[in-house]
Amino acid sequence: MYDLAIVGAGPAGMAAAVAAADLGLSVVVFDEQQRVGGQIFRQPPTAFTGATTVFGAGYGWGRELIDRSESNSQIEWEFGTTVFGLLRDRVDGAICTRVAVTGPLGSKAVAARRVIIATGAYDMPVAIPGWTLPGVIMAGAVQSLLKSQKLLSAPRLVLAGSHPLLIVVADQLRKAGADIAEVAFARGLPTMRESLGSLGAVPGHLGLFAETGVAIARLLAAGVKVSTKTIVTAAVGDREVEAVELAKVDSRWNKVGDTRRIQTSALVLGYGFQPSTELARQAGCEMVWDSPKGGWVVAHDALMRTSAPQVYVAGEPTGVAGAEQSRAEGKLASLAVAADLSADGAVGLSVSTDGALRGARGELRHAARFSTVVQRLFEPQREALTELATPETLVCRCELVTKGQICDTLEQNPEMSRASAVKLECRSGMGPCQGRYCESSVAALVAAKRMRSVADVGYFSAHLPIKPVPVDALTMLDED
Amino acid sequence: MPKSTRMPTVRGVPVTISFEGTPVECCIGETVAVALLAAGHDEFGTTRDGDPRQLLCNMGTCFDCAVTVNGAPLVRACLMPVADGMDVQPTRGV
Amino acid sequence: MSERCDVIVVGGGLLGCVLAWMLAREGADVVLLERDQINQHASGQNAGSLHFQLEYRMVEAGLESARRAAEAMPLHLDSARLWAKLGDELGESLGVIQNGGLMLAENAEQAQLLEAKSEIERSWGLDVRMLGGNEVRAIAPYLSDTVVAAAYCPIEGKADTRTAAPALARGAMRLGAKVRTRTAVTGMSRKAGGWSVATESRAADGQNTTGKIQADSVVIAGGVWTSELGDMVGANLPTIAVALTMTVTAKVAKFIPHLVQHAGAKLSLKQSGDGNLLIGGGWPARLLKRPDGKPDLHSRPELLRQSVAGNARAASRVVPAVRTIPALRTWVGTTTLTPDQLPLVGPVPNAPGMFVATGGSAFTLGPSFARVLTELVLGRPASIDLTPYDPSRYRSQNA
Repeated sequence: MYDLAIVGAGPAGMAAAVAAADLGLSVVVFDEQQRVGGQIFRQPPTAFTGATTVFGAGYGWGRELIDRSESNSQIEWEFGTTVFGLLRDRVDGAICTRVAVTGPLGSKAVAARRVIIATGAYDMPVAIPGWTLPGVIMAGAVQSLLKSQKLLSAPRLVLAGSHPLLIVVADQLRKAGADIAEVAFARGLPTMRESLGSLGAVPGHLGLFAETGVAIARLLAAGVKVSTKTIVTAAVGDREVEAVELAKVDSRWNKVGDTRRIQTSALVLGYGFQPSTELARQAGCEMVWDSPKGGWVVAHDALMRTSAPQVYVAGEPTGVAGAEQSRAEGKLASLAVAADLSADGAVGLSVSTDGALRGARGELRHAARFSTVVQRLFEPQREALTELATPETLVCRCELVTKGQICDTLEQNPEMSRASAVKLECRSGMGPCQGRYCESSVAALVAAKRMRSVADVGYFSAHLPIKPVPVDALTMLDED
Repeated sequence: MPKSTRMPTVRGVPVTISFEGTPVECCIGETVAVALLAAGHDEFGTTRDGDPRQLLCNMGTCFDCAVTVNGAPLVRACLMPVADGMDVQPTRGV
Repeated sequence: MSERCDVIVVGGGLLGCVLAWMLAREGADVVLLERDQINQHASGQNAGSLHFQLEYRMVEAGLESARRAAEAMPLHLDSARLWAKLGDELGESLGVIQNGGLMLAENAEQAQLLEAKSEIERSWGLDVRMLGGNEVRAIAPYLSDTVVAAAYCPIEGKADTRTAAPALARGAMRLGAKVRTRTAVTGMSRKAGGWSVATESRAADGQNTTGKIQADSVVIAGGVWTSELGDMVGANLPTIAVALTMTVTAKVAKFIPHLVQHAGAKLSLKQSGDGNLLIGGGWPARLLKRPDGKPDLHSRPELLRQSVAGNARAASRVVPAVRTIPALRTWVGTTTLTPDQLPLVGPVPNAPGMFVATGGSAFTLGPSFARVLTELVLGRPASIDLTPYDPSRYRSQNA
């Protein structure tokens, strides 16, 4: 049995793994990618011998963390591996947690004394007409394709959104030779300049924002059209994107005036991030609604313990806050695991963790001080985004459920007032993406129609497998 | 003319996979998604209404890039590294 | 807030909804109270099987227990007839498909068990016949070669668990019934020749409001909360909450038209109208317990990995194609059994005007329970002999 299983090899997972290994805990880390790094530090494949990972300003520590992780032979890394749920054996009042995994080594339920959920975040879905067309792609996707797989997605792109990452990506695409037709930013430029100016002054912190300021300057110098207070209202085309429609918006992102159309074969969306919390929900962790933090986030105590026994959380699932905070949380979670195991008598530590815990809590406080400011600055205007979908727009991409169908369901069932009830009735969220791309839209529609808060309307419950796996994988779960 | 283009770098050894029976030249280290995109295959599958689907998130969360690989359905092309001789079929929704 | 009505139905699952509709159809003034959302609990979580052959869990314990369980057959046959017509009468499809059910045998012992079971069932009027291995594969080519025989019942099939109860709730509302969700019953007492039911509901602003409704009759259709509701009026309505596991797969082209069960293993397997495979059969999950030892009905039960694996294996063995199909969700639903395996249907002892129905297979038997409860509420004689299901059989066990 491992002392610790970590789900996710991004900054939080790596920091946790290294801290745990340094304390002598036996640790295994699962990740669906082929290498460490997560999304923010996504590396090229080892087979790409000429390629190196480029770290943005302020993220030099990322190189060091990756090197420490990859060279630490005490850590067991299982790549290309999907964690699809947490199970519990209960024997004589004791719990043994099992991590259900499937990967190149087969499927199994791996026993671990403690689990850290470090599953990161994904680009926030925004349902607009035409968003299912080939050619609509997330900012994180177009960036990782370029940086990691060295593939430029399209020769000409329009980027639309509200998160600073969009600007950075536009600049990276331009440098790679792409024609950036337009960058449409939902916010106003003065606000942007102010916030970026103030954040860029913070030493060694929030490198992303320092980078963004430089990126804007370069884009403008290169003659790229950067529109502010502008939102994309539709992607248009027959079997792929052929054009996009843009419109000016007010400070709440509501459309003012007419739409205009520009031709493009690629639309990049970058409105921010949504925490990946399916595993935490499936494990029974209590969740909290916090819109600036990205929506439903995993509740935890000061030592990163969730409400589920033996389960800790670190990184974006606690609230989208960036790589520094993820690193700090990962380290803290591992120290907490070690302290808890030591207190249980399950492991013997050669050093006390008290000092390290105090230090880690301090690091986290430092990182968190600014993340709340950032979160508030870049909180998306959810109501306005929900309005972009027309009745014909697909809200559930997998089950092909339109906004109109969801509204009809709410109309015909006046007593229905929870997102999960709407999911059950119209199938939204019942396909392979398991609600990752439609839950926020469905919940927003229910909340608006029933005049309840999004928190009150609830979230989709998550079940094993939290990513689809063949039935055959389930048959392996009872082996020891 | 494929929309997606490979940037110059040293990739892994060249291999060949097939998509709907058509050979696709690619390199070790690339994902199936990248191999298909670079070869100009803009539709990884279709829904039950016949509408096309293609990669959206490139990180395994959306399943819009899902294809059938060597007979196994619902494999995320954005996560699956290519291997010589791999047979890839588009997803046809039911 | 005080209001009056003829009947209060406690519970918004399949039973509560079909009952509210039937009562409203008869002109009764109905209020349905549901503590959570319509169809949120067992009714929306089960496999939707319309099974009339005795399930594996009933024959597992031997033929004597099977004979006793067969006493519920009249209810099953009645339900079969009602389900077949229900969608048309309601004016909305309930996804009822009756392509027949196959209970499989993979060896001679299981085949003999099926023969004996079929005899018992036929004595009660069920149309069920034995098929040999080749005959089975002729109508069900998706089955593996290990199947040597099967009991075939042409009227078995499925209904759409996902949408049936809400459709019936809508039907009830169209006929004037009131449906209140997020409304829990906190107490019931005799008053003015009828019942005063106290409620607590959670409004949009997050405030809880309390209320009282006066009714001539009350029907307990509360599934696992039946015993708790019985306690409110001092009646002993013993139920056993049993958490069961279900798995659903991604959609695939239609290839399994039948309801598939097994004589030697817990298995129910079917393909929904949308193309997903539903795999179940009674594999247990773990109900957590409260400090007082009673089951915690508010926490989500935990999966047992032996059940997840065993269920998947049972399905894969008889339908090999299942192996490679992606599973999308494995969840737990909590059903209500009674100590003697027979349903609890009828008047609540010492509670004039109060009635109850529950007891395993309540999705399949829902229309039947509802019809007979409607008769009782309206003061008509029950059209089925309810003696074996009489709740008063537990009366003497009152604490």
